[in-house]
Amino acid sequence: MPEPVRVQGRVLETLPNALYSVELESEGRPRVTAHVSGHAGLLRILPGQKVELELSAYDASRARIVGKT
Amino acid sequence: MSVQKSWPELQKMHRACTIVVDTLRALAEAAQPGVTTREMDRIARDRIEKAGARPAFLGYRGYPATLCISVNEEVVHGIPGPRRLAEGDIVGLDLGCVVGGFYGDAARTVCVGRVSEESARLVRVTEEALFAGIAMCQPRNRVGDIGHAVQRHAEGHGYSVVREFVGHGIGASLHEDPQVPNYGPAGRRERLVTGMCLAIEPMLNLGGPEVRVLDDGWTAVTADRSRSAHFELTVAVTDHGPWILSEPYPYAQVAHA
Repeated sequence: MPEPVRVQGRVLETLPNALYSVELESEGRPRVTAHVSGHAGLLRILPGQKVELELSAYDASRARIVGKT
Repeated sequence: MSVQKSWPELQKMHRACTIVVDTLRALAEAAQPGVTTREMDRIARDRIEKAGARPAFLGYRGYPATLCISVNEEVVHGIPGPRRLAEGDIVGLDLGCVVGGFYGDAARTVCVGRVSEESARLVRVTEEALFAGIAMCQPRNRVGDIGHAVQRHAEGHGYSVVREFVGHGIGASLHEDPQVPNYGPAGRRERLVTGMCLAIEPMLNLGGPEVRVLDDGWTAVTADRSRSAHFELTVAVTDHGPWILSEPYPYAQVAHA
């Protein structure tokens, strides 16, 4: 059973409602809006930080942060 | 970093993988026109339980069945239901089990009755791409070498490689690090070491690489609704080369005596 791909990104800024604007390291440096997944929710996430994300297969502009790197 | 497995642990992986591949063989024979995907799921579950193992996908992140069955434009994670297989369909069967604390995971795409030349070729090239990836499972190679080999083979035949889903390390959990993409440059990502177990699983599309997930939250389909094929095997990296864990150990066993 394949797993959803995880990608690396860098937090640009914090947004309201515990959302973050993140720049992905993949080609074209796309920007996504990300929320923090359950078990990573306790992490303190600051602008400039490198994070690991799972992309949403529903909406390419959204992602969720699953950990720090 | 992936967990390196000991020789006794690899034996347990071998047992789990053998059950999965035996079950897939039975499912391939059962995939005839008129059979429903739910009946296929039943066959899978019965066989796995009869072998003394437990389905690995049932309940995994809320997945509701034993088998993932993905017909034609469905890429992966198709949920069994009332749909009946029809002549000319290509059907992805993805199955996992756990026994003795270790997981086995494998998949293949089968043709129902006679299929078009175009579909048959997609299925054949996807299986070849899997073996191109497996051949890279040598100690000191890197995870990127696997994806590079798969992508080269797939795109060389005019197919596209799905990016959103990837292969994975496997062992005492269904999904372990590292992730194993089916694309990307050679020589990058984690280094392969003896005792690593990887589920390598190319997903190739006849059209573009983009996929969508349906409202059921699982079924991934190609965005352009072109057909897609998927093959997967669990492989251990050994000092002598790749060991496809559903097969007997292929090398002389002196090294482990």
